[in-house]
This record gives sequence, structure tokens and C-alpha cells, in this order.
Amino acid sequence: MSSIVNIQGLTKDYGQNGVVTHALRGVDLTIESGEFTAMAGPSGSGKSTLLNIIGGLDRPTTGRVEVNGQELNRLSSTKLSRLRRDRIGFIFQSYNLIPVLTVLENAEYVLMLQGVSAAQRRERVRDLLKEVGLEGMEDRFPRELSGGQQQRVAITRAIAPEPALVLADEPTANVDSKTAIALLDLMRQLNEEKGVTFFFSTHDPNVMKQARRLVLLRDGRISRDGGMVEGLDTE
Amino acid sequence: MIIRLAWRSIWRNRRRTLITASSIGLGLTFAIFFISLSEGMYGQMIDQVVRMQAGYITLEHPDYRDAPAVDLWVAVPSEIRTEIEGWPGVEKTKLLVLGQGIAKSGAGNMATAIMGVEPSVEIQSSPLARNIIKGSYLETHDNPLVVVGCEMAERLNLRVGKKMVIATNDVNGMLVEELCRVKGIFKTGSEEMDAYFIQMPLGFARRLFRMPDESATQMGIILKNPDDQRRVLRKVQQKVSDFPVAVLSWQEVLPELASYIKMDKGSNYVFQGILIFLILFTIFNTILMSVLERKREFAMLLALGTRPGQLRLQIFTESIFLGLIGCSLGLIVGSLAAYLVHVFGIDMSTIMGESINISGFALTSKMYTKISPGIFLGSTTIVFIATMLLSLITMRHATRLSIVDTLR
Repeated sequence: MSSIVNIQGLTKDYGQNGVVTHALRGVDLTIESGEFTAMAGPSGSGKSTLLNIIGGLDRPTTGRVEVNGQELNRLSSTKLSRLRRDRIGFIFQSYNLIPVLTVLENAEYVLMLQGVSAAQRRERVRDLLKEVGLEGMEDRFPRELSGGQQQRVAITRAIAPEPALVLADEPTANVDSKTAIALLDLMRQLNEEKGVTFFFSTHDPNVMKQARRLVLLRDGRISRDGGMVEGLDTE
Repeated sequence: MIIRLAWRSIWRNRRRTLITASSIGLGLTFAIFFISLSEGMYGQMIDQVVRMQAGYITLEHPDYRDAPAVDLWVAVPSEIRTEIEGWPGVEKTKLLVLGQGIAKSGAGNMATAIMGVEPSVEIQSSPLARNIIKGSYLETHDNPLVVVGCEMAERLNLRVGKKMVIATNDVNGMLVEELCRVKGIFKTGSEEMDAYFIQMPLGFARRLFRMPDESATQMGIILKNPDDQRRVLRKVQQKVSDFPVAVLSWQEVLPELASYIKMDKGSNYVFQGILIFLILFTIFNTILMSVLERKREFAMLLALGTRPGQLRLQIFTESIFLGLIGCSLGLIVGSLAAYLVHVFGIDMSTIMGESINISGFALTSKMYTKISPGIFLGSTTIVFIATMLLSLITMRHATRLSIVDTLR
């Protein structure tokens, strides 16, 4: 396996009104291709900040972050934008679907940005929607779907361009526990069958159990990497 | 997909889109209607004045403008006049003898502008001939009959059939006097015309000033459509290039009228500019609001890898749709309103009386718009471009946001 994410000595400080907050205090992390990794930790431990930096949405204060062989600090905004489009899939806590586009159009949005022909992207997205259990719902709008269904569309949108890495920030936080397990089953199935690398944050111990690797973050540092989730106090 | 996304995005808040499109439409309707109305009023004013005086295009002695006097006459061959009358766009030509003099009656004396005219032409083309309020208008062989303005008639106590004397200098500078009778009294609404002008048949005027037959101080050309002025003027210049005559536009002959219109247009543009600015401010606010309330959506699109340029294109496309809807609305309503007033006119007589006097120029109280593709398309283009420029300003708010802060 080759590493998709390679982080060394990552720090991130936020300053406001002269008060500096150390969100990340020296994170070292490697994620290999094909991994299915969960990240847990209390609120404010730096989970979202770490995901944002890996996703190229935010810049580190110090340290080296390499994603898919590219050192993010050296990339311009345009190249970062291209990296996000072509190599990274995003799944957000609140789905973030485009309300005026249908299920099919939402799912094919990134493919459209990549310039994939309409026929090709329709074919690919229809197959994926079938796999995630949304067959027959292609023409519905997000408002006509349940939370779990909307997140399935978001997952389809994230994996449709066949990215090297899918980052998910608390993807099950807004759905009930049954739906959360179903979504995790789906992500895991996609990981196993298609080899998609997932790195996601969560608060939910039931969701953590689904992960093959668990990274625990506390006060901006990795306090534990690997092992079982039983007995962990994530709050 | 950007087009589809933009089109659906503007309809996600139907009420706001309708308000924005209506604002654009209303602004354009006002612009089209008021520009058409003011152009129509200027057109009416110019038409009435030039028809009473020396036409849209005037041929006269090259030195006449510097020192107007009856000895600076011209004699345009009748075959040239006939040929010009046959040109497309030319309605009529007219000969004038213009001079200064003193009008005398038992009640007193008044300075006067003497105008020798061809009654048969004036009846067809000049509003003055149709504004006789007492008596009747002139006929070709009415020697020595005149028509005078109502103000002059009042001051000199003149009535139809009464005698008066006109004193002037002839072409040789000799003092001459002629006795004549009042055949009619006119009222144009123009203080200058009604108090100062006397009209008489051309033959009588030539005799009064001792001018040769066929001579005139001016030959005027009346056009069917004022927009043909430049084209016909060039053609006339070519035609009479071998003759010692100057070919002038009405703007050169009546510079005070041209200046008045220019100045009035300027103040109209300022007023219309302020009106459009206020409407554009409303449009700007609604476009900005629609952008600001979707910042989270834009941040998400940027996170997915949408380039800022693509996002700007989407917002610009939304503005194009809004502009097209609003401008179509304004173009249809504004053009229709302008067309109806062009055909039926607006009668302002109950407010302003039978005629309106603007800076000494009379205008009938029934106003008509001028309809022209230039006004309609020009106004539409300006409002559309202004809407697009406003959207360019709002775009910055969408693409210069912090993805992380907005999504947090």
C-alpha cells in the first residue's frame, strides 16, 4: 500500500483579538491507500481543522502535509482547487447538496466540473445511485429526500469522480442511529469493493466500531492511533 | 449545467426574482417612456418652429447669417427647387423674404419682423396658417393684405379689415412705406411670433423691399422625417455647389432653439439618471442579498473544486437571466406605452391650456412620443449593462469568502 496522506509536525493556530488558539499542536499521521479510518475526539480537539487542512480548505501554520504525493503548502489556490476536484471527495455533516439540482445532477456535479461528457457521467452516476440504493430517485430534489437519503447522494457525489481519498466530517451526525449504521455499512462496502480510502470524524462509538483504524485526537494532538474503540471516552 | 443551475437558482426565491425583474422592468419602462416623450416634444417643437420659419434645411446668401438684410437675397432656379421637391424624404420647399420694419397704426408703432411667404405652401406646411383666430389666411395674390399676431393686433388696436402702414428699408437702403390691410389675426402661443411677426404674400414683400422677381432671402426645405436631415443636407450641398448659396441646418439658423433643446436634454438626462440610479440601487440590494444568503452554498461549491471563475460565471448567468426577464418586461411595457402615446397623444390642455410656451417657442398641448428603435434598444442596452455591472460587484462577495469559516 502507498500512503495517500502523509503529515509531519502539523500545527495550526488561530488568532482573534490577540488571543491565540492552538487547534493542532504537532500532528504526525499517515493514511495508506484503501484504509477506512475513523477519527474521534472531544469537541474542539481539532478534528475538523485536521480534515480541512488535509482537504486543502485551510493552510497549516507549520508542518508538512502531503496528499496524493503533492505537498499542499506548495500549491497555489488554483492547484488546491484542482486537487480537491480531482483527488479528494468531501462528505459534509449537513449534506450540503445543491437544493435546485436533482439527485442525479447533484451526484454528477463534480464530474461536470472535471469536464466528463454528459453521457459518461450519467452512466457512471446512475450505476452508483443504484449501488447506494437510490435507484428511481434520480429526478427528485433534495427537499424530497430524508436525511439518510440526502447523505447517500452526498456519498455518491464524493465517490463518483473516483477520488484518491474521501474526507467525511461527522457524516452521520444528523441522522438517527439506524441510518448512521446503514451509511457506515455503505461507506465500508464502497471501501472494500472499490478500494476508496475513507477518513472520517465521528462522535458516535457505534460508528467508530465500523472503522478498521481509529485515530483519537485530544487537545490538538493524536493521543492514540489504532486499536479497538471499546471503553473510549470520546467526550 | 451552470446555465441550468443559474436558471433554477433565480427561481428558488420566486418573490424576490419577480421584485428584481419588476424593478428592472419598471426602470426601463420609465426610461423608454420619458425619453420617447421628451424626444417627441422636442421633435414637435422643432417641427412647428421650422415649418413656420425657414425649414429643416435653409439655402441663403453666404453672408446673410453675419448681417441679415434683404439685399443679401438668393435666386434658386425653379428647376432645382422642383428637383429637390422630388427627392425622397422631402415634403415641400418654401421661399421666404425676411426683413425688419415698423408697423404703424393709429394706436402707435411697433418694431416688426416682416415675413413674405408663399400662402399656398404655408397653408399646407405651416402651423401658423392653421392658427388664424380672426379673419382668414393669405392667398397668393393678396396684395396688399397681411396677417398679424394677436399680441400685435391688441397693442396696435388692429382688427380684420383695418389699415396699417409698414415702414422699412428696401434693398438699396431707401426708406419705403406701404399701406396694407389686416386680413387675419393669428395666435401661435409663441410670444415672439404673436407680438412681432407680420406675414404677407411673397409678391407683396418683394415689392415692399424692391427685390427682383424669383428672389428670396431664404429657400427652406421641409422634410417628412427629421432624421433624414443630414442625408438631404449633403445632397443639397452637392446639388447647389456651383451657386453662391450657403446650405444650413435648422440648428445653424435657429441656434437659440438648438441650445435650448440641448440644455433641456441635459437636465432631462440628469433626472432620468437619478431615477435609474435609484432603481438600480434596489436591484443591487436584491442581487446582493441573494448572493449573501447563499454564501454557505458557494463555500461548499468551492470546497468541491468549483473554480472561483466558474462560480462568478454562475452568478453572472443568474444576472443575465434577471436582466433579460426584467429588460424584456420593460421593453414590452415601455414600448407599448410609448406607442400608444405616439398614436393617440396625451392631451394636456386642461392643465396647460391650448398651447405651451417654452422659452418663446410654442408647443401644442397635445403631446406625442417619438418612437424609434434607437430609443428602445439604447435604453434597454443601458439598463441591461448596468444590471450586469451591478452583478460584477456582488460577485466578489461570493468568491472572496473563507471556505472554512463559512462552512463552520
